[in-house]
Amino acid sequence: MWCLRLRKAPFAWLLEKEWRELLASRAWWVMLALIGPLVGVSFISAVRTYAELSGYGGTAEGVGEAFSPLVGVWAPTFSACELAAAFLLPFVAIRVVAGDRQSGALKLELQQPMPAFARIAAKALVLMAGWTIASAPTLLAVVLWRSYGGSIYPPELMVVILGHFLNAGLTIALASAAASLTDHPSTAAIVTLSVTVGTWILNFIAAVHGGVWERAAGYTPTAIVAEFQHGLVRLDVLLTAAALVTLGLAVAAIWMRLGVGVRRRTSESITAMALAAAAIVACTFVTATHDFSENRMNSFSEPDQEALERIRQPLRIEAHLAAEDPRRVDLERQALSKLRRVMPRLQVQYVANTTTGLFEQTSQHNGEIWYELGGRRAMSRMTTAEGVLETIYSLAGVTPPQESEGIFRGHPLAVPPRRAAAVFYGIWPALIVAGAVFHRRRQA
Amino acid sequence: MAEPVVCPGTSATGSRVTVDHVTKSYGRLAALSDVSLSIRAGEVLGLIGPNGAGKTTLFECVAGVLPSDAGTLSIDGRTIGAKERASFVFYMPDGIAPWPSQPVSWALDFTIGFFGGAAERRDEVVTQLGLEPLLASPLGTLSKGQRKRAILAIGMLTPHPLFLVDEPFDGLDLRQTREVASAIRAHAARGRTVFLSIHQISDAARVCDRFVLISGGRACGEGTLDELIARARVSAAPSHPSASSSPSTLEDVVLALT
Repeated sequence: MWCLRLRKAPFAWLLEKEWRELLASRAWWVMLALIGPLVGVSFISAVRTYAELSGYGGTAEGVGEAFSPLVGVWAPTFSACELAAAFLLPFVAIRVVAGDRQSGALKLELQQPMPAFARIAAKALVLMAGWTIASAPTLLAVVLWRSYGGSIYPPELMVVILGHFLNAGLTIALASAAASLTDHPSTAAIVTLSVTVGTWILNFIAAVHGGVWERAAGYTPTAIVAEFQHGLVRLDVLLTAAALVTLGLAVAAIWMRLGVGVRRRTSESITAMALAAAAIVACTFVTATHDFSENRMNSFSEPDQEALERIRQPLRIEAHLAAEDPRRVDLERQALSKLRRVMPRLQVQYVANTTTGLFEQTSQHNGEIWYELGGRRAMSRMTTAEGVLETIYSLAGVTPPQESEGIFRGHPLAVPPRRAAAVFYGIWPALIVAGAVFHRRRQA
Repeated sequence: MAEPVVCPGTSATGSRVTVDHVTKSYGRLAALSDVSLSIRAGEVLGLIGPNGAGKTTLFECVAGVLPSDAGTLSIDGRTIGAKERASFVFYMPDGIAPWPSQPVSWALDFTIGFFGGAAERRDEVVTQLGLEPLLASPLGTLSKGQRKRAILAIGMLTPHPLFLVDEPFDGLDLRQTREVASAIRAHAARGRTVFLSIHQISDAARVCDRFVLISGGRACGEGTLDELIARARVSAAPSHPSASSSPSTLEDVVLALT
């Protein structure tokens, strides 16, 4: 017997089906409607603050003359996407993944001999397409900013967008795994939100205790987004995120299949997790990074960078600062995070008896930062980049490089967020409502 | 619509499917105990049994939707694994409402495209099952009987040689039941093997060539109506006081043997 088959590949049919299911999902339309005002609130507030610091409305002109749109506008504007990815996107993903099981469609579709990972990949691709459309308000923000005469440095903006896409990918993978593992969408939603809250708790513990916690917290979605929002791309973070996304989708695929016993699925899941854990551990040894920010906010100046790269001996720093000591935060942000990127053999050790350090102020060693390089030791209490570099140069016997001419001067812009309220609170929601009504009528 | 292409290798003509010693338990509850049966190519086989007999569990185990604790599925004596089974057996569960927001017409096209079904039979199946007025309606808006017919059409368009349908007449009125029965007969006449799970005995008698009786997770009999009547007469027993002492209908047989 011969049978007939349509030329379009089954995977293309699956993509079409998932796309149609996404369009039929109320959760997606709700996310579309809400994300516009969310981005609007962030953008309007950020542009207003930026304008005021640039001298608009009677404030002292020049206060924000070194202002960068990356930190001043794009980081807060795109933070609305982070909110949507944490609280709206999981419901859309769960609807798309769990809907087939609820309706019984999964029992039919799984009888097509296609790998389960291909099925979940089709859902993930469509969800990413849905997220891309939902991110359109951020592009409207970019257009508005340009229309105000604002400066745009494309590499740093692309890095911010990449960070939010990675975050969305992690959310989709997590929600897909939860939807496949659980019997009911509401349980999947609880599991997904619990994991999200769990990563926030991890960040909090890391801030208090540091050490291993701090290292682990560096790979949470919040930390990943924060780094990308500063224009920094770390290859280890990219690879770890890719491993986590693959793990989430693999677990979803394993538990989506029918006709396979729970014991086998459990052992397959454990194997997938072990492989992902090994991959993540391997990723942590990758040190390649690139600072895409226009003002090199994650790096020392190029002459300093070159001078530090010439120091081959391992540098050891022992800082007598408690975890919650603001000086430690300054030291990390202004110097050590930059130093780690240029000197991979750097060893940092914090010495403190308490986490707050309140009762250690009287200790004579409190606040001391000891540097050891090539058998020589020096102590300093400075936590600024300049202070740290000065100590390192003196220990290494290196002449401090001349000040670079190409200092970032910033892009002040004293323009209020005109037309933004109309766009984000009026036009965008109206377009979404019109789109939803049009789609519904077309279906009926 | 895309141009159809021809593909070989899905014929069931001449194939004999054997289900051997299928066992399935849910914890301490034995849903199926060592069930064996055979399915002949091109026939309409009915799985008859009371509610809770294990009909759906058996179908799901045969289709590979549910993992069985033991047992095999063979075609002409050759045991087939899960992957091969997916291209040989298509199972249509009862009580599902797939793709509720999509129109019937799209669901049929999707079935043809996704499963590699018979595009040239689409119109014929639509006419046989009276689906013309429903083609533009989303599946989720159909009544129970309408949805049953639409889902049956989806199954009829799949290319798998063995077609398992769980309760095909559930939710249908008498006229619809007769139409669907005749559509299933016509479908089998084209060479496809159909295995139906039915708890309404009158419906089963109308459409099936042979029957498998199941009760309490055990196969109690298999054969044509005449073969089962003969067997029931032998075992017509005082232990089944409700059964006729001289069974002559499928109802009598079921009461005698289950």
